Amino acid sequence: MFQFLIRRLLGLVLVLFAISVMVFVIFNVIPGGDPALRLAGRHPTQQNIIQIRKQWGFDKPLYQQYADMMDKLFIERNLISYQNQVQVIPTIEAGIPRTLSLALGAGAIWLFFGVVIGVLSGVYQGRWLDRVLTVLALTGVSIPIFWLGAVLLYLLTFQYHSLPIFSWIPPGGYSPIGHPLAWAEHLFLPWIVLAVVSIGFYARVVRSSLLDVRSMDYVRTARAKGLSSWRVLTRHTLRTALIPVVTLFGLDLGAAIGGTVILIEPIFGLEGVGQYAQASVANLDLPPLMALTLYGAFFVVIFNALVDVAYAWLDPRTRV
Amino acid sequence: MTLEAVQAGATPTGRGGVALAWRRFRRNPTAIGSALVLLLVVLACFPGAPLWVDVACHHGPAFQNINGYVTQNGHRVPVVANDGTPIGPGWRACYLLGADANGRDLMVRLLYGGRVSLEVGFASALVCVGLGLLIGMVSGYLGGFTDSILSRLMDLIWAFPVYLLAVALATSLALGGLAIGPLRVSSTSLAIPILVIAVVYVPYVARPIRGQVISLRRMEFVEAAVAQGAGPVRVMISELTPNVASMTLVMLTLIVANNILTEAALSFLGVGVPILTPSWGNIIQQGYNLIVTAPALTIAPGIAIMLTVVSLNVLGDALRDALDPHSKVRVKV
Amino acid sequence: MKTLSVILAGAALTLAAGCGGGSSSGGGSGANAGTPVNGGTLLAGIPSNPDHLDPGLTYTNEGWEIVEATNNGLLTFRKAAGGAGSVIVPDIATGLPAPTDGGLVYTFHLRSGVKFSPPVSRQVLPSDFKYSIQRLFKINSGGVGFYTGIVGANAFAAGNASQISGIVANDKAMTISFHLTQPDGTFLEDMALPFAFAMPKGTPYKDISTIPQWRIATGPYRVTDYVPGQKIVLARNPNFTSWTPNTPNGHLNAIDITVGVTPEQSVNETADGQLDWYFENPPPDRLPQLQRQYPNQVFTSATGEIEYFSMNERLYPFNKLAVRQAVNYATDRHALLKLEGGQGSITENIIPPTFGTAYVKHDFYPYDPAKAKALIKSAGVEGARVAVWSLNTDPYPNLAQYMASVLNGIGLNATVKIVDASVYWDLISTEKNDPQIAYNNWSQDFPEGEDFIDVLLNGQNIVNVGNNNQSNADVPAYDKLIDQAKRMPLGNARNAIWARLDAGYSKTNAPWVVFMNAARIKYVSARLHGLVFNPTYYDLFPSMWLSK
Repeated sequence: MFQFLIRRLLGLVLVLFAISVMVFVIFNVIPGGDPALRLAGRHPTQQNIIQIRKQWGFDKPLYQQYADMMDKLFIERNLISYQNQVQVIPTIEAGIPRTLSLALGAGAIWLFFGVVIGVLSGVYQGRWLDRVLTVLALTGVSIPIFWLGAVLLYLLTFQYHSLPIFSWIPPGGYSPIGHPLAWAEHLFLPWIVLAVVSIGFYARVVRSSLLDVRSMDYVRTARAKGLSSWRVLTRHTLRTALIPVVTLFGLDLGAAIGGTVILIEPIFGLEGVGQYAQASVANLDLPPLMALTLYGAFFVVIFNALVDVAYAWLDPRTRV
Repeated sequence: MTLEAVQAGATPTGRGGVALAWRRFRRNPTAIGSALVLLLVVLACFPGAPLWVDVACHHGPAFQNINGYVTQNGHRVPVVANDGTPIGPGWRACYLLGADANGRDLMVRLLYGGRVSLEVGFASALVCVGLGLLIGMVSGYLGGFTDSILSRLMDLIWAFPVYLLAVALATSLALGGLAIGPLRVSSTSLAIPILVIAVVYVPYVARPIRGQVISLRRMEFVEAAVAQGAGPVRVMISELTPNVASMTLVMLTLIVANNILTEAALSFLGVGVPILTPSWGNIIQQGYNLIVTAPALTIAPGIAIMLTVVSLNVLGDALRDALDPHSKVRVKV
Repeated sequence: MKTLSVILAGAALTLAAGCGGGSSSGGGSGANAGTPVNGGTLLAGIPSNPDHLDPGLTYTNEGWEIVEATNNGLLTFRKAAGGAGSVIVPDIATGLPAPTDGGLVYTFHLRSGVKFSPPVSRQVLPSDFKYSIQRLFKINSGGVGFYTGIVGANAFAAGNASQISGIVANDKAMTISFHLTQPDGTFLEDMALPFAFAMPKGTPYKDISTIPQWRIATGPYRVTDYVPGQKIVLARNPNFTSWTPNTPNGHLNAIDITVGVTPEQSVNETADGQLDWYFENPPPDRLPQLQRQYPNQVFTSATGEIEYFSMNERLYPFNKLAVRQAVNYATDRHALLKLEGGQGSITENIIPPTFGTAYVKHDFYPYDPAKAKALIKSAGVEGARVAVWSLNTDPYPNLAQYMASVLNGIGLNATVKIVDASVYWDLISTEKNDPQIAYNNWSQDFPEGEDFIDVLLNGQNIVNVGNNNQSNADVPAYDKLIDQAKRMPLGNARNAIWARLDAGYSKTNAPWVVFMNAARIKYVSARLHGLVFNPTYYDLFPSMWLSK
């Protein structure tokens, strides 16, 4: 186990290093988007531009600039954005609780409903309920997430704005501590949007997992012994069936925190990490991009490692 | 074939795998339904688009009619009002679904845009699955050092947050185009979004294929082929490929579905299909700003995407059930 | 300057800057009538952070609007709207000096008793002004270009001198003189820009936007709280007493600005009573409804701004005059106006109508697609590939698509290239990327013809990086005229030359397709009154008041 952890940790560091180099190269190779120009402002004299290049180190060789950036990001922790010269790390740190609020809340919703729908689908396999739920589930997966957010937002804040339950409030407080109700109210719509597209997938996985387990010997034995269907379901099948779901949930959460939020946050004006990411890419703003990409990759890889550990622990056959 | 017939001396006719699969597929009503919907969408967009133009209103997707008029209920109504609001949907041949801000016919753009979205989705899926198949096979069969390198490369792409990678690549390519040796791709070419979307999802194909190949290579029929003197290339082509074929086919459908969604998302972020050419994604992107006064511009292409992607997903699901009811292939995209 | 203020994260969200329509504040007499009431906190919104809150650095409309309420210079533009707001009047100086010594020296007397806000809390002295201008060179301010004409400025900038010899500050006599290297009629305008506002000696040589103890004010308000990306709070400056009617004590007690409000949100929040005032125009698709529903709360103001497509005279096919003229004939300016929500007025002129006698309307290019096609044919450029550039802020991609269809209609082969707003201006002003034809706009730094014609069309101002003359227009005879005008004092004679150049460039060089002057539209809450839009400083906070 220890060896496994060490290997994974090493792998993580290597992957992050490789990604940081990739990001750095891509953005320095882009034609145009000269950061010196942007920093110089509207009426730059040529002198201005040269001085800025010197001041910010844009005239140094690329590997030197890379080393400087990594230094500012990890050691000195004072990396500044080119776009508005605000410190990158505090901005990300401010955004993380909002993104987590979004991802975790939505995650709880999609997990719960995914399991419920999946179980229903599996238990009534082949019947019309199963077919209807299948199509519904797959429909959820097929909706472009940003489109759903945009349309819902339009319907609820503009068309039906006067109806009290639909008056969605623009984001304000993000802390669940102290004002949990207000917190939930602000995040309700984004939660629904992020959850809808994932519920379908989970429902499918739970369903197929349930079907696999139901046909196993020990379940048939339980049935033969005379246990009621409900008991069989809850005590025997469900637990085993949910193992792949748990692992997938971990992976998806990692991916959501690391990336999918980039589509939802701008629509709802949630100033989390996703919105910052989208703005930074649009602005070709390398410092926050570097930080965000590494942050995203970190989450993805960490969650993967956690999932592998969980799998190994739960299922001794796959122990590495 | 009945037992009596066999006992009477007839040779039992076995049914091949494909025939069995087809029978299972045929019996699944949702599968047939989704296949039909897909067919309808393809027919509407490909032969249907120019047909609509010929029959309905004779203007193409690029025709901007900002200062034009249409007749409605006997009145002459401007296509685009003085405050910039375009006309909405109405029961008329021209501008059936309304116009966009530049006075272009939404219905016509939707049909032509469908072509682009389907082409991008399908082409990128072919490239993606092709590359994924190749890498997965080579990686899984050869193992060792090659496997390490390729796997690490896959890990790298897969750990890179998908949208950030796609947007980064697309932005850098879009500004200057691509120039590798003698190959030059202009920045407005469709090849760029196709390539970007394909590359970003290669690991989703390569990894499962690799896993499958690893378990296959221990099997007897592979050993037999090797013993007969077959080299790695021969083994991969004639022994392994047929056995990963069903997994690949299912993945193809699901990846096409996924790529259509990705194209829409990238266009929404501004780095998908360049705007003069309509695609479902960039129609939404442009229409989103007018969502309050002209919601059809956002809603219609979204529904089109949903319909197409649902049928592809249902189809993929049904294919999986038909080809291998016990398979555990899950493509999370 | 460019109107960058609409920049908001990402493609599909940003909603128009382009809004229109002629005259100064309209929208119902009831709203502005009534006696101003003192007190209250203004609830304000802004889409994104101002670039800086440091008067020496800020070069955006958002920044200037805030700094106008907190800081003062020797001179200021009259705090009024429209053409009246283009007149220069004294602020901390006691009068408008006439230049002496052949137009090379300007001497100002400072009034006494103007104090800096706490913790500095002392009188503003001439040496503070000298320090502030020198500081511009040390912090690489975008505005240094306005002050390089002072003797010794370049030496100071290069580090060869410890001070700018051409600025002579006498704290005892409360005078300050500026010696110029050559006569410059716009020097007084330069003194009214925020770059020349007073900052106390000793202000660090870096951006003080987020350093509270150095955000020192001289005006009625000061910035008491600034969290970038979140909020800006202005409160009364305890050390302020009004010294002229032109620098009034504000009515509001405080101004609470929330950063990151989208245009769509601003409309909803204003209707809900959660917002009084928003920096941007409302989204064009909400405007008709707002004008119908709340006519007393929607105000239109003229700005000193033009919207145009610049054509690059160094690149095929726009290196041929016939082609550039053809595009001018083929463009239906009304269509472009529609795409910008009808919020502005059509124009062909380079100079905006708010510039007094410098604006002489001309109409050289009536809409004539047939003539355009003929011109293209005669130039022999049919089928030429053209990429029309635009930024991704709505509605500019639509404008570019329209232009592409115009070009395709006359025989060229056009596509569209959309670039994100935050890098667009940098990209098109770098020679490496030189677009053939690009959407462009220019809004005044100060209300004088030089700010348009010299900055944007003088062949001698072409540079490789940071080029504002994106057409690369280079007509030596006109360059000479420009130089001549620059030396003249402000007035009708000088304006006549600008008008001549406006007509000259448009007719014989046709570097651009100018199509519109955008108007500024505001949708405000019912309790907000006293809106005054100054073309240089934008909305004036000190004149606003809230009814109970």
